[in-house]
Amino acid sequence: MTEALECQLLVIGGGSTGAGVAWDAALRGFQVILADRGDLATGTTGRFHGLLHSGGRYVVRDPGGARECARENVILRRVASAAIEDTGGLFVTTPLDDLEYADRFFASCPAAEVPVEEISPAEALRREPRLTPAVRRAFVVQDGSIDSWKLVWSCAQGAKQLGARILPYHPVTAIVREGDRVIGARLHDLRSGGDVEVRAQCVINAAGAWSGQVARMAGCEVAVRPGKGVMVAINHRLADCVVNRCHMTGDGDIVVPSHSVSVIGTTDTPVEDPDDIEPTAEEVAKMMTAGDVLLPGFSRSRALRVWTGARPLLPKTATVGDDREVSRSHTVIRHAQRDDLGGLISIAGGKLTTYRLMAEDTVDAACAELGVERTCTTAETPLPGSTGRNYYRLPDHQADFEKGRADNPMVCECELVSRSDLLAAARRNPQVQIDDLRRVLRIGMGPCQGGFCAFRTAAILHGQKEYGRSQANAGLRAFVQERWKGQRPVLWGQQLRQAQLDAWIFQGVLDIEHMPT
Amino acid sequence: MNTDALVIGAGTAGLIAATRLAQGGLRVLVVATGEGCLPLASGTVDVLGYAPGPVKSPLGALPGLLDAHPEHPYRLTGAAGLEQSVAWFLQVAAPLGYEGELTRNRWVPTVLGGLRPTALVPRGMAAADLGGGGEVLIAGIRGFRDFHPALVAENLCQATAAPAAAIQARAIELDWPGSAGDLVPFRLARRLEDAGIRRSLATQLRPKIGSAAAVGMPAVLGRETAADIHADLERRLGVPVFEIPGLPPSLPGLRLFDCLRRALRDAGGRLLLGSSAIAATHHQDTLDSVTITQASRPVEVSAGFFVLATGGFVTGGIVREPDGRLREPVFGLPVHGLAPGQQPFGDEYLSEHPLDRVGLSTDANGRPLGAAGAPHAVNLYAAGAVLAGALPWREKSGEGLSLATGWHAAEAILGCRREDVA
Repeated sequence: MTEALECQLLVIGGGSTGAGVAWDAALRGFQVILADRGDLATGTTGRFHGLLHSGGRYVVRDPGGARECARENVILRRVASAAIEDTGGLFVTTPLDDLEYADRFFASCPAAEVPVEEISPAEALRREPRLTPAVRRAFVVQDGSIDSWKLVWSCAQGAKQLGARILPYHPVTAIVREGDRVIGARLHDLRSGGDVEVRAQCVINAAGAWSGQVARMAGCEVAVRPGKGVMVAINHRLADCVVNRCHMTGDGDIVVPSHSVSVIGTTDTPVEDPDDIEPTAEEVAKMMTAGDVLLPGFSRSRALRVWTGARPLLPKTATVGDDREVSRSHTVIRHAQRDDLGGLISIAGGKLTTYRLMAEDTVDAACAELGVERTCTTAETPLPGSTGRNYYRLPDHQADFEKGRADNPMVCECELVSRSDLLAAARRNPQVQIDDLRRVLRIGMGPCQGGFCAFRTAAILHGQKEYGRSQANAGLRAFVQERWKGQRPVLWGQQLRQAQLDAWIFQGVLDIEHMPT
Repeated sequence: MNTDALVIGAGTAGLIAATRLAQGGLRVLVVATGEGCLPLASGTVDVLGYAPGPVKSPLGALPGLLDAHPEHPYRLTGAAGLEQSVAWFLQVAAPLGYEGELTRNRWVPTVLGGLRPTALVPRGMAAADLGGGGEVLIAGIRGFRDFHPALVAENLCQATAAPAAAIQARAIELDWPGSAGDLVPFRLARRLEDAGIRRSLATQLRPKIGSAAAVGMPAVLGRETAADIHADLERRLGVPVFEIPGLPPSLPGLRLFDCLRRALRDAGGRLLLGSSAIAATHHQDTLDSVTITQASRPVEVSAGFFVLATGGFVTGGIVREPDGRLREPVFGLPVHGLAPGQQPFGDEYLSEHPLDRVGLSTDANGRPLGAAGAPHAVNLYAAGAVLAGALPWREKSGEGLSLATGWHAAEAILGCRREDVA
């Protein structure tokens, strides 16, 4: 059965860019439909290290990119504060780094509008005691930690409140053309099994690392080159602020505090297929060793899991013809001008910190495509939940939890998730899977990686009427399998012990292998 | 410090070996870093449940298992040793009323509502065998996060693993009287010593029993006085009550730990917890002493015999380094079971992982082999999950292996002593 929908803008891709476009366009009064092949923010957006750039990482090699980050950083702190932890950041010169680079770094910040303050190595060590005592220079910047899931959901929620439709688990199966115009797309609803035909005045390809695939469905090219980056989560916060090496950039030179863990990143390896980005043991070893340079003893700490993301890199040579290079870091392609194919706009490149600007540029192009003039207001309009400077703080969660503690069993000890949190999330989304709850509530993201909470979660969800016995059994198995993928490369020492304890629970006690389906 | 036998590890294998040795007249000291694995265990004695299909009779399936896996630790005891160790265990664990046969597995419910094959069960699970089908009432406690009766009951009704006849299961959730607070297994077990609590639960339960032949409850029915609590509930309800073991900490496992510790003490053995073995001294092919930590100080313990029962990865008996190297931390024994370059893990979580089989190789007497392929020391034995060759959770063989190999190590040592005396 095919359902027919109509809208002005169909956005393909529910990462930060697509959700940002949906929010921006909805604010400008467009009727919007947003579709993603999976849940929101499960591509590159949900698979990065969580850094809200100060711009410091680009001041020397790309001052324009740095300026963009610095400006967006200020804006996001105003409009998306609930998704941000105001950790601040440090750039430190280790004995392996060139002292001359530190001078260039410090000198380049003002021109790039990146606020910076030098502090003494002693002061840096006072603030971050685990920092290498051999630190030679230290600079404070406005880095932050951003929860990309929260960010994307608030964009989607805001758009929805303004009438947008959000369609997760709806992969595009065809881009529908009428002559030299794109007039919509065909989607497949993975949950109902039906098809959806969407007619749109303009289709926006915001599929990031997958945008080449989407463009090909329309018969044109977006020469996106996916770049694989590997990240490793450590079981607690080794530093409370973002710690960067002050050098020209390299592998494993940044450690970001993210909720209750630290994340180290990253690498950049070109890949053909953004879905084929398995991390290797060598990459993990490289991250662990690199961590020791900034935080001695890093390689002996307990790695929880490893994951990779695919950056949507767009080589400069790809932007030919009438492309308007709107930014140093991202490109909006109006296929009407480049390929004589109306009704299709692609956005590629960019980074999470500049997602809002990317969305603004994209919706500007859509306005031009539709021949209307509507002003962007995302820089002034707070996202739902953000009231300006109401930053996320790690201890607040603990305090909230303690308030409702009595008569509200704790489902996940690692991340302090209660039964009522779980039920509230299930009420908001009756079709919710345990893995979706991981992104919403951080279920299964702590040291036990789901060993204790996965069973409880499945059983509590089963008490909800939309979630039957089979779903509980299958959901539990699927979740355990999903968690397994990211653990395999870091199973040694204490985390292997944990994984074996989990195996004891799942196989020995619960015997999930022989559950009825 | 001096003793006849030093046992390292206080899990099932260590406590079994130590108790058997102490009963055989040796002065025995057990040192262990922690309380071993029993707080994690279900309290059942799983001997062989899958090989790889469901096993009806552990004894019957044993020859096939050993043909397929000649390195399996059950080769040390064979069927005869296994039977003797089980007979001995049933006596030692008599206070907990263990029962069962090696010729017939029982099918007991999990907290997910699946059925799990096991050979021996404590009295509290005597009525848990649902292999023959039947009608049961599953009673949970509202607010207890580790037990969800509706899911247990619905899954039991679909159980296809073994039962000859269908299971009819219903669910009820009981209100815990008084302030709930955090309902965790220890707290529930302690509070159930209060007859008032039991009366309240029984009052809620009784009208719901109907034609159910038994009532299944979470395995939190007390620790020291579990037998009394269980008997009292059965008396109040008029039908058998069985416990369903769940997530750690496991009361049935802890009761077995208490029981074995008491048997060891009664036989004159000593148990030193919070004490790790850190070094060893040799004299030619004989192990002279092991250095342990006691109150954070090193103490040298000389002994005639040593048993290494430190377990697998879970309890730190085997360690995997970041570069993939495997080591046995007390004696530095070579860890076998993974060929050079072999991938340690399968792709699917539930696929068989080669790493799960790794451990120590031994001679026929259970003495671990050193780098040269000969026993590391003539008076060092290994038992339990530290041994190579088994997949305890997949096979459902963990406690059986620990029991049989722990008992076997003790028998080998007692045999040596008899030879020396002769």
